[in-house]
Amino acid sequence: MSLEKPSRDTALDVGVTEDGLDYDALADLLGGHVLDREQHVNAEGFVIRPDEVQEVLSTLKEEAGFDHCSCVTAQEYDDRYESIYHLRKYNDPTQELSIIVPSPKDDPHNESAARVYDTADWHEREAYDLVGIDYDDHPDLRRILLPETWQGHPLSQDYNQDQPQIVSLREHANPLDEDKRSEDDPDTMFVNIGPHHPATHGVLHVETVLDGEQIADIEPDIGYLHRCEEQMCQQGTYRHQIMPYPDRWDYISAGILNEWAYARAAEDLADIEVPEYAQVIRTMSAEMCRIASHELALATFALDVFGDFTAVFQYGIRDREIVQNLLEDLTGQRLMFNYLRLGGVAWDLPEPREEYFEKIRDFLDDLPHKLEEIHDLVTGNEIFQMRCVDTGVLSKDQVKQYGATGPVARGSGVDYDLRRDDPYGYYDELDWNVVTEEGGDNFSRVLVRLREVEESARIIEQCVDLLEQWPEDDREIQANVPRTLRPEPDKEIYRSVEGAKGELGIYIRSDGTDKPARFKIRSPCFSNLQTLPEMSQGEYIPDMIASLGSLDIVLGEVDR
Amino acid sequence: MIGILKSMATTMKHALDGETFTVEYPDVAPEVSPRFRGVHKWSQERCIWCRQCENVCPNNTIQIVMDEQRNGEQYNLHIGQCIYCRLCEEVCPTDAILLTQNFEFTADTKDEFAYDKEQLKNVPWYKDIDPLESREPDRGAWIGEGDGEVDYQ
Amino acid sequence: MQSAPLPETLANLLRLDPNSTVVMIVTSLIGAALIGTLMMTNTALAGPWAKRKITAAFTDRIAVDRIGPYGLFIIVADAVRLLSKELIVPEGVDRPAWDLAPLVIASTALLGFAVIPMGNGIQLADPEVGLAYVFATASMASVGLVMAGYASNNKYSFLGGLRAVAQNLAYEIPLILTGASVVIFAGSLQMSEIVAAQQQSLIGPLPSWYAFVNPFAFVLFMIANLAEVGRNPFDIPEAPTEIVAGYQTEYSSVYFVLIYLGEFIHIFLGGAIIATIFLGGPAGPVLPGIVWFLIKIWGVFLFTQWARSAVPRVRIDQLIEIGWKGMLVLSLANLLLTAVIVGVTVQ
Repeated sequence: MSLEKPSRDTALDVGVTEDGLDYDALADLLGGHVLDREQHVNAEGFVIRPDEVQEVLSTLKEEAGFDHCSCVTAQEYDDRYESIYHLRKYNDPTQELSIIVPSPKDDPHNESAARVYDTADWHEREAYDLVGIDYDDHPDLRRILLPETWQGHPLSQDYNQDQPQIVSLREHANPLDEDKRSEDDPDTMFVNIGPHHPATHGVLHVETVLDGEQIADIEPDIGYLHRCEEQMCQQGTYRHQIMPYPDRWDYISAGILNEWAYARAAEDLADIEVPEYAQVIRTMSAEMCRIASHELALATFALDVFGDFTAVFQYGIRDREIVQNLLEDLTGQRLMFNYLRLGGVAWDLPEPREEYFEKIRDFLDDLPHKLEEIHDLVTGNEIFQMRCVDTGVLSKDQVKQYGATGPVARGSGVDYDLRRDDPYGYYDELDWNVVTEEGGDNFSRVLVRLREVEESARIIEQCVDLLEQWPEDDREIQANVPRTLRPEPDKEIYRSVEGAKGELGIYIRSDGTDKPARFKIRSPCFSNLQTLPEMSQGEYIPDMIASLGSLDIVLGEVDR
Repeated sequence: MIGILKSMATTMKHALDGETFTVEYPDVAPEVSPRFRGVHKWSQERCIWCRQCENVCPNNTIQIVMDEQRNGEQYNLHIGQCIYCRLCEEVCPTDAILLTQNFEFTADTKDEFAYDKEQLKNVPWYKDIDPLESREPDRGAWIGEGDGEVDYQ
Repeated sequence: MQSAPLPETLANLLRLDPNSTVVMIVTSLIGAALIGTLMMTNTALAGPWAKRKITAAFTDRIAVDRIGPYGLFIIVADAVRLLSKELIVPEGVDRPAWDLAPLVIASTALLGFAVIPMGNGIQLADPEVGLAYVFATASMASVGLVMAGYASNNKYSFLGGLRAVAQNLAYEIPLILTGASVVIFAGSLQMSEIVAAQQQSLIGPLPSWYAFVNPFAFVLFMIANLAEVGRNPFDIPEAPTEIVAGYQTEYSSVYFVLIYLGEFIHIFLGGAIIATIFLGGPAGPVLPGIVWFLIKIWGVFLFTQWARSAVPRVRIDQLIEIGWKGMLVLSLANLLLTAVIVGVTVQ
């Protein structure tokens, strides 16, 4: 019962049938716009003309119910550029459709989708920045990850890596020149919040225009932690070399969740079956990561709201420490686990197993008491409520427009959790609930995380029960996988898992070699961070800081 | 008001019970789990110079130099660049390269972290834990050959 | 308890003539130095050591314990470390104001201790307007904060300075109004009179400390005091996670030490005021007065740290709202009520 999706009348959407999407009906809906149809592993792809993007996407959004533009992948082929819009639905993410927009090699440009999906704004800026496709009618087509003065587009084929780049610091530019950015109101002040600031959770730069203490205009500037993760994955072999890197996207203890995103995409790409026993271990360890990640999210959020080094932060860290010890026993590392393998996991549970189960059980037994304490200390505190209730409000529509996922979406009442809606691992066999809160404010997001910790604990408990009873001769942790994986050429896949921060998706295109031809990461933080201006316009600086904290971004994942 | 008082009572309870969860490193060494991956230890006796570790390393941390007769000359490993993924240990057919539990290493410059053969041999065991024993690598599962073409790299 | 002010005691002790002006000036200076040293010692203990230990206790950690007994020598180490650091003067600071601000912050708080009766005759002066003088010196610090905020040529500091003014205006008035209700009880502004008025017994062994006579005023005063010294939930002028330590962002080395010490002296001055007008000053059984006095101000210090560990920071607009709409009304009500009660009972 618990895993049943609250039903919404989706039958009206075009192409929805009892057993999945009817792509022919969708193609009929678009009529002559569809030039060609391609088969991707996850969904069908419709090729359309570059100047009809807005028309096609709004038709699909309005009439076929594709309200979630989860990712925009851009890539360069030998003969053309291509942008792929991965569309899916918030109320059923298994209904997917890729819209493929080719553009000519000599002058790559196509119409922007940012007028249809707000989230496409940043995604297209990233595509422009890294691959070099121009998007017509884009509201603000600038570089996003690289500095503005960068020459060339690093993921394009003719990019010269050895070309010297000049990045000006403009250190002696008169700071007062930019002071009055808002022209309607000359009494505003421009403040750089970050990249070195105690509350930006890393190297985020928020360009803020203040009217007194209130925020008149705000723009997150990202890219300070860009580490070419996509390109590094394109240079690694599927079988071994990519797996250590996902740990480093969302590096605060969500490692196994990230690894699973890659594992899921690559396993589906290469048709690898994962043994059930390994799936249970994966599920258990992934939920441990979720607990660790949410504990830290709560701790740092409290740090932003309480100020200074206060107790809540330490208590959060202390509880997270226990999970990390459990994970260390299992995987051999505290943060950079590298535990999953294609087709399974690296190790079985540590011996003696009973002792390990005992440890997990102790942790789970203590957890309710600890959460109680956190509720006493944080959520029950009137001043905390004063600070968080009705600040940083994000409506359901905004969530969908910006493609926000994870606790941010669920805090706004959008019932979207890939563990249930697009099941993988062992989740559909277990009994747990998807947590949602209707408030859409900072307080709701905190509550969602706290309650998700409880749900994760339930999942872990069931996994431990299963593992305990698992017959000894059936403990297969690893499927038989070729030593070198070479998926067939020109297979394309977009697969996502529910990471700690939301939908973590991977797009892989194979070209017949043992390395991916294109590896695109759809980072949940990247999309979630886009909502910050919506949340904080007109609010006070402290609320903006709190909203930023409640988004729970990790800059390693935003910038990749 | 009740909530604020409750919060204050919670922290006071912690202050009064006198429990601490931090330890006084290095007087009290933290517990390292047997599977923990620390600095590498290398054994020249076991190494067969197959270069698989060099091949598998995701970020070119391992550098092997051999002469024309394919005799090993140098085995260099930059422990400051290493990401401790343990793939080298995993592919090694002879357990010549191991990751000890040793996590305590310091240097004045980055260059000092570029370990050569001798330095790698002399890395001490951590608390005499033998990593192989604790990890029980399941090699049978790991070097499966799949259904397709056999590939010996 | 009633004894001559410290300079006269000193003069008598040194067998000098208490009626000579020169002798009085010299002994006053000696007395001031003594009291100043006493308070600075407390601050030095509180800043680098006690604060760390207390925070650690609340957060299940160990904190400094390596150098000396209980890690006490960290005070020396920290002093050497901080004083030997380079004093960075940012470009474009408003020079005399920027240099003076730390001095103003640190010295104004010390001035307040001149009229506080610390027991055993340690009181530099006992003017008839003692309480008014203390409040005046305590609120002078906001001048220093504004100077620091404005002169730093830093937007965060500027915001911090603005916040400091807004906050001190909003909380100074309730603070003084609540203090005034005590004056109505005691019938005098003189510190020694206020202390003396709290000596009678209220019920049985319980002395008639104003904290017991009028707990409502005591709570109000404690809250307003938290805002006055800028500690959670009212540490808005600093707010490290929002405006990066506010007015003190640009200060380093000696100036930082001065500001930091100034803050702690302020907390102790707040504690001293509370101890004097609500907790019977240096009164207490068995132990000498000065010890009781120190226990009381350390108690208030502990309370600020405790609040810091558990109470979130309010937003600036909420703070102003609480100040003007809540605290002010309550303190006026308290004042009126006290006046009526005292008026009725006296008749």
